[in-house]
Amino acid sequence: MNDSSSAKVIEWLKSAGGITVTCTILVAIAVSFHKGPYVLVNTLVTGGMWALMAIGVSLLFGVMNISNFAHGEYFMIGSLTAYYIMNPLKQYLLETPNDFLSFITPILGIAGAAIVGAIAGIVTDKTIFAQLRKRNREGWLLNCFLITIGIQIILINVHMLVFGNTFKGVVNYWDVPSVAFGDVYVSVDRVVVFGIAMAAIVLFWYLMMYTSLGKKIRAVAQDENGARMVGIQVNGVYSTTFALACGFAALAGGSLLFMFPSYPTVGVAPLYNSWFIIILVGFGNVAGAVPGGFMIALFQVVTRTYMGEGWENVIPMFLIAMILIFKPYGIFATKVRSVWEQ
Amino acid sequence: MTQLTQDNSTGFSGILGKICLSPMGLAGLAILFLLPLVPPFNQDYMIRWLISGAIVAAAAVAFDFSAGYLGIVNFGYAAFIGLGAYTSAIISNKIGISPFITIFAGALVSAGLGVLTGIVSLRLRGMFAICFTWFIGIALMGLCLKLDWLTRGPLGLQCDGFFEGNSSLPYYYLILAIMIFTYLVLGLMIRSDYGLAFRAIGQNMEAAMTSGVHPTKYRVINFTMSCFFAGLIGGFYGHYYGILTPELLHTQKTVEVLVIAYIGGRSSLWGGIVAAFPFIFAMELLRSSLSDLPGINLIIYGVFLIAIMVYYPGGVAQFFKNLTARKQRSTSSTAQKAKTAEAGV
Amino acid sequence: MKNLNAGYGFLKVLWDVSIQIDRGEFVALVGPNGAGKSTTLKTISGLLPPQSGKITFDGQVINNQDCALNCRNGLSYISEELNLFTGMTVLENLEMGAQLLDDKNKMEENLQFVFELFPRLEERVGQYAGTLSGGERKMLAIARGLMSNPILVLVDEPSLGLAPQVTEEVFNALKVLNKKGVTILLVEQNVTKTLKFSSRAYILEKGEVVLEGPSSELITNDHVKQIYLGT
Ligand SMILES: Nc1ncnc2c1ncn2[C@@H]1O[C@H](COP(=O)(O)OP(=O)(O)O)[C@@H](O)[C@H]1O
Ligand SMILES: [Mg+2]
Repeated sequence: MNDSSSAKVIEWLKSAGGITVTCTILVAIAVSFHKGPYVLVNTLVTGGMWALMAIGVSLLFGVMNISNFAHGEYFMIGSLTAYYIMNPLKQYLLETPNDFLSFITPILGIAGAAIVGAIAGIVTDKTIFAQLRKRNREGWLLNCFLITIGIQIILINVHMLVFGNTFKGVVNYWDVPSVAFGDVYVSVDRVVVFGIAMAAIVLFWYLMMYTSLGKKIRAVAQDENGARMVGIQVNGVYSTTFALACGFAALAGGSLLFMFPSYPTVGVAPLYNSWFIIILVGFGNVAGAVPGGFMIALFQVVTRTYMGEGWENVIPMFLIAMILIFKPYGIFATKVRSVWEQ
Repeated sequence: MTQLTQDNSTGFSGILGKICLSPMGLAGLAILFLLPLVPPFNQDYMIRWLISGAIVAAAAVAFDFSAGYLGIVNFGYAAFIGLGAYTSAIISNKIGISPFITIFAGALVSAGLGVLTGIVSLRLRGMFAICFTWFIGIALMGLCLKLDWLTRGPLGLQCDGFFEGNSSLPYYYLILAIMIFTYLVLGLMIRSDYGLAFRAIGQNMEAAMTSGVHPTKYRVINFTMSCFFAGLIGGFYGHYYGILTPELLHTQKTVEVLVIAYIGGRSSLWGGIVAAFPFIFAMELLRSSLSDLPGINLIIYGVFLIAIMVYYPGGVAQFFKNLTARKQRSTSSTAQKAKTAEAGV
Repeated sequence: MKNLNAGYGFLKVLWDVSIQIDRGEFVALVGPNGAGKSTTLKTISGLLPPQSGKITFDGQVINNQDCALNCRNGLSYISEELNLFTGMTVLENLEMGAQLLDDKNKMEENLQFVFELFPRLEERVGQYAGTLSGGERKMLAIARGLMSNPILVLVDEPSLGLAPQVTEEVFNALKVLNKKGVTILLVEQNVTKTLKFSSRAYILEKGEVVLEGPSSELITNDHVKQIYLGT
């Protein structure tokens, strides 16, 4: 490492973002020593998924200027789908054991969740936002925000009406022994879920940076008319963006089914979390969402461990409110902010 | 009640106009006064529905005061209502003062938090400000759940009523008075120079600043007023229902108010009142007649909100404004035709 | 394009404007500020739906066709606002301009061509479009518009805010392009220069065509002399 790059690293460490990341890592290590490494495991498993949710919200905001308050409901759609795929299969497997089927059941459930979520996203865009785009671009930001609130109300209550107000969950995905990391035993489910989150994030990054679809999405985000002028069909790109964002949320929902059983308002906490992350790291900051996800997860795991159930929304909230006061555009704030301020 | 007649400054409607009322609005208020006296509305459950309508109407007016004019949606609005409610209930329970006095104490505490929020959120714009108020709301609700030595948490806090006896009628007139009080105070505020400054800040903060409007002052004033009335309404809510749970602070309650405010029409104040009564009434009717389909009324809520936002973003107020603006439109289209004719020569 | 009426919402800007351009021509559309020149181009390109009238391109009516589809058919629009992708590099911008081309070799060829036209861009391929100077941005916008092998290029005020010699560069580039058989509709306020470069011109005032004809004739027209050339 040469001088200039190490100087850059040091400068970054001194910035608000660097300090926060360093503190987070220190706190994580300290807590794992004090309360055992399971705190860390939970942080990693949920943090990756919160990051995925936040990436979706960030994407919708960056590309379409939609602040999605219904994002948690796509998480809910994901967990519901995963439940209705996995549960019947697991019932069937009880009577007729089949190694292969029991191996792919969770995979089917999670993949199905992502697909159904993506389809739900496309439907949302085509039925609602495409109409709004056609009709009225005035006050877009606020109108969309209110529309997503409407979507949230509808989806929660349709779930309640059709599937009932019960917990629909599975205990675990694979009936296999836990994996040992030293003397820490972690269930395979958790390891796989963490892997899924990381894979999805890397895949997303690759998609955005190197594929023509990603370039199109970025082009539309930067200048919609410019994109139309070079022949990009923006409506298609918008639908794809929605599919990606909602697909990620549903993927998170499906993957976390063993920790968060599906019920009508299961999406509310993930929604809070993804918005904490976005506010924390700044709007449209997709790369920041990953450390942000782990930070929020750690906040919550720590407050739950030390202060008990129920505090996990209060303390991080006050912390974020404080951060907002001093860094009004998030801790990883960049210079690009004009779009987000309207 | 409407501001439609701003231009006529003479005669009876002129005097009414000075206090933000129009003949039509006055007629509407008269109907609201008489409604619970005529059948079928004089049954107790109907009066209770009317009270629900009036609570939401008053809250929507105060909500629109910040959201419609300043452009800052107070997404933690229900928490401010809840703060007023709990403060009033706790004070009247512990000290035994009449609820008529303690609701003002609740309103002041809410207003105090409003001042803080206003000052603290000054540097925040757009979604950041919305999220900030939202987080305050979530945090308050969490606190309310956890501080059960004070609030009794999910078990619910009992509070005394305003009146002896079982009739809901006095409560109805009380909330109606609160609603009208809220509307008149905020309406007069909007009519004054403050209203202009609010609009200027809401439309373009930088431009407002360069033309000498000091956003700090106006944002704080606006937030404080809006939260004061939220607290007042909250105080009524608690003493009317007799029990308070942290659910009152939930974002879902904010959404209920918000939906009505936007269906009524942003930056109109009175739109929320016009929308609230029929809407809440219809919702209650639906809920009681379709009790085997829980949540169907909320689904309709959502559909309504989306439809309004996509197809008629101005809401009910826009509808009334269009009615009066039609005349103007027809004159301007004549002007366009004149230009066409001129061009043809 | 026939009897075109267009505008924004309730506001009507164009009043029965008719323009006819043949293949291979270099046509100019000039007029004072606010005449509706940009609105005309926006409407032809498909960014703005017309209120009434008929736009034909290559024998096809393209009235309500999306801008993206027009681009596919060989109509390229270079707007006044440039609409660059400011968060992408010069090269990425150019690649986006060519994203409809299937043939990778064709793209390389076009890149060579636009770099020949604007050598300055080649020096800055790796720079972000948002950090370019005004003139360079304009060049990039024009270059991006040429990457898709257009048949017809609509250019909106390329000289706006440019130094005279850069303007000259840009106009020369357009001339070169026209020589290669590309049809050009150029919108300008700089009347003298535009009339010198173009073969035919329309004069638009208050949303109506007031004069049209070969550029060489218009330059001697009394009305034009009086209003635009100040003589
Ligand atoms: N986006 C818009 N919304 C409303 N009116 C516009 C818009 N763009 C331009 N106009 C109006 O249309 C008229 C013509 O504008 P434009 O076509 O840009 O003129 P030019 O390019 O000839 O200077 C002007 O009066 C302008 O104010
Ligand atoms: Mg122009």
